[in-house]
Amino acid sequence: MRPAKLLFAATLIVVAALGIAAVAAAQSDDGKKVVLTVGLTSTSFDTLNPLVGYSVPDYDVWIPQYDTVTRKAAKDFATIPGLAESWEESNGGKTYTYKLRDGLKWSDGEPLTASDVAFTINRAREEAWQNYDAYVHNLTAKVIDDRTVEVTSSVPDPKLPGLGDTYILPEHIWGKFDAKAITKYAADDGVGSGPFVLEEFKTGQYVKMKVNPNFWEGQRPIDEIVFRLFTNPDAMVAALEKGEIDAAHNVPSEAMERLGTTTGIVAVEGNQGGFDEIAINAGSGLKKPHPALLDSRVRLAIAHAIDKQTLIDKVFLGLGSVIETLSPSPNPAWIPEIPAAEQFDFDLAKANKILDDAGYKDTNGDGVREMPGGGEPLKFSYYVRSNSDTAKPVSEYVSGWMKEIGIELDRKFVDSDQLGPVIGKGDYDMFHWGWTPYVDPDQQLSYFQCDQIAKADDPTLYNNDANWCSPAYDKLYKAQNVELDEQKRMDIVHRMLMLLRASAFYQVFALTPDLQAYRTDRFEGWLKQPAEVGPVIFSNSSPTYYNLTPVASSSSGGGGISTGAIVGIIVAAIAGVALVFYFVRRRSTAEERE
Amino acid sequence: MSFRFVTRKVLAALATLAFVICFNFFLFRVVEGDPVANLFRGKNLTIEQRQELRREFGLDGSKGEQFVRYLEQTVRLNLGRSYSTNRPVRSDIWERAWPTIALVGVSSLLSAVFGVLIGIVAAWRRRSKVDYGWTGFTMATYSMPDFWLGMLLLVTFAVTLGWFPVGGITDTSSEATGIAKLFDQAHHMFLPALTLTLAYLGEYALVMRSSLLDTMREDYLTLARAKGLRDVAVRNHHAVPNALLPVVTLVAINFGFVLSGAIAVEAIYSWPGLGLLSYQALRGPDLPMLQGLFLVFSAAVIFFNLVAELLYGYLDPRVRTQ
Repeated sequence: MRPAKLLFAATLIVVAALGIAAVAAAQSDDGKKVVLTVGLTSTSFDTLNPLVGYSVPDYDVWIPQYDTVTRKAAKDFATIPGLAESWEESNGGKTYTYKLRDGLKWSDGEPLTASDVAFTINRAREEAWQNYDAYVHNLTAKVIDDRTVEVTSSVPDPKLPGLGDTYILPEHIWGKFDAKAITKYAADDGVGSGPFVLEEFKTGQYVKMKVNPNFWEGQRPIDEIVFRLFTNPDAMVAALEKGEIDAAHNVPSEAMERLGTTTGIVAVEGNQGGFDEIAINAGSGLKKPHPALLDSRVRLAIAHAIDKQTLIDKVFLGLGSVIETLSPSPNPAWIPEIPAAEQFDFDLAKANKILDDAGYKDTNGDGVREMPGGGEPLKFSYYVRSNSDTAKPVSEYVSGWMKEIGIELDRKFVDSDQLGPVIGKGDYDMFHWGWTPYVDPDQQLSYFQCDQIAKADDPTLYNNDANWCSPAYDKLYKAQNVELDEQKRMDIVHRMLMLLRASAFYQVFALTPDLQAYRTDRFEGWLKQPAEVGPVIFSNSSPTYYNLTPVASSSSGGGGISTGAIVGIIVAAIAGVALVFYFVRRRSTAEERE
Repeated sequence: MSFRFVTRKVLAALATLAFVICFNFFLFRVVEGDPVANLFRGKNLTIEQRQELRREFGLDGSKGEQFVRYLEQTVRLNLGRSYSTNRPVRSDIWERAWPTIALVGVSSLLSAVFGVLIGIVAAWRRRSKVDYGWTGFTMATYSMPDFWLGMLLLVTFAVTLGWFPVGGITDTSSEATGIAKLFDQAHHMFLPALTLTLAYLGEYALVMRSSLLDTMREDYLTLARAKGLRDVAVRNHHAVPNALLPVVTLVAINFGFVLSGAIAVEAIYSWPGLGLLSYQALRGPDLPMLQGLFLVFSAAVIFFNLVAELLYGYLDPRVRTQ
């Protein structure tokens, strides 16, 4: 054996393999199937059980698989017919009688009846299914006949007649499980009522869905949807540009500008109401903040010293928009208008003047103001989430501006899961985090009630992360929760948000969009939800999957390995082995000869 | 090898494993955090539902109680349920081990074989152009961070030239089965395997080169030459076998790291192995999954170290008499 020659031969094999790969890439299979491939990154699917799964991608598997009694319109989330073709209100808005469509079937051919609807709603309420409870907590469903189901709420519920978040499950499959087993079920049966049903789930790799021939609107013209997971966002962008995937979710912000100018690719800044805020400890929790922060003038000064537009331009690379108040829903109608004169405009001189007038002076000349009458300097702890890309640069800008108004920020870096208990214990002055709200504003608004503040026996159980307690707000919250007139309810919600804003404990500064991109050469019919500003996939009820059609004369799917290429690879492999064999043999025979 | 020697080594390995099991539990709980609040932040959950989730996740009760529960389960080889996939940790790890074994196994094998060959060539022709060329090349790839090398290869061969897919283990839109599927997987594995092979190559090449250079100074090689043996025979039959000893240990030890060895590369190529699983589990944090993974990783290292020690004891009698 001559190592040098062996090495040479082996290198040749590598080169040969590279060449063959090039040939393989040049050819692609004819694509008999129409496959929509969606790439996503950063969050993975967890369990596909709609009762307990919690990661964002899960919803885009449930939505096409489990049709709902009513759906949410792509345009504005309005309640529109789904499995039910119509409904009637009675009992002062507490009871709705839904008429299901004729001839509904599950993908396995079993009939879909009122009993499936009642099963889902009633079991979900009785067993408090995690993802259902908020919607069905007060509901009772009664089967009238195969196509009629009556749903009664024990309290006035402004969410009705909407049942767009209650995925109706097939009783003939799910009915087999008891309360405990049902939450552990892998949900891999692939039986659904929507346009696509689960075909295959490989954790950490992909989810495949296949078309449902029994879908009541008719079989969709796409054979398969594949959700493909990437851990490397740059690789996902490359896959989109190459055409390996048709759409990408969570595109890195650096790539958005380039994708936006690429022909055949549309970049989407999908606004779903997600926002970022700088929260100040309001002191109603387990621990009080720095005493200066309990002075509303100090908080007002801070609000005037944060340049929202600069944060969006520099940290979010222009992807986002300034917002003056909390956004409780992806539907922008719920956000109140703030007159220009009342906005917290960026004005350091004004901020300094507010603090000067309030008696916070820098008496020892160290650049940091002290409490009125001297004493404790205005030095606040500010928590930065180390696992967030934006938290650190935001903190740098904010602490720079605070310095200009004589406030020192003591930045502390922690992981998100460590910040949770810190907030509960009230052991902070400020932090930067964000939320993404549900369509109905109720959930997001509920967090700021007094009873959502952490209690001493378990400081990790809380939702109110500003430790803010306002009896006036709580009263309004209860009122909106039972207000069935949408306009009146909206007015109450606007008043609540103005209250929260006026306190300046929760300084919301940016609407943070979902960054997505899709190709236009293979599919058309991408729907933004809500219209014009929303994302096209992973939106609240992702109507895109109900609407996409292949572009005429397009080929589907990324280039697979063709038969020719496989033959090529086999030939190369054999050639490689032969080459090695040849060198080895030649050497030994030569030795024998000598 | 004496029975005593083997028993001593095995007991030491078991003791290390026991320590790792205890250590793992506290490692992920040193810093206070709340996985439930973090995983379910912003979800429509009542406080009661969150309490229930914590009970289910085994996060209720004191640290001491949790530790006792953890020990009982681990001894029964029950690693718990993953917070994120809601499936037994054991089956997730089992499923994801194979892509890693395939990828890192093939790369380790290739880098060991190629590295040894390069080391032999470089040492035998030391200070020649061949030596400088190969040693320089392997030093360069060895000193590059593997994620960077991976990105370079990805950008060049997958993005710019388009010869390879940018990630994953199979073409998700292909229906291929059998041999075609195998080739599809090989096509996907090529770049990550090349990255790892290049990254590991230098280690083997350098160890082999210096070991062979040491051997080449030995008197018995002069004797072999004096007997009139040809250069090739001297090298293949007298020098290389004696120089291989350190490489054998290196191979055995490195096999211990096969399971845990490719976190960065798996993340770059979205290769669905244990490295990627660790990366995803850290984001939760998915405590049972992390505990399970660290246990498996440590067990592999401990096992292969034991193998290396026993092997060494067998190959070099001085070790077992000490």
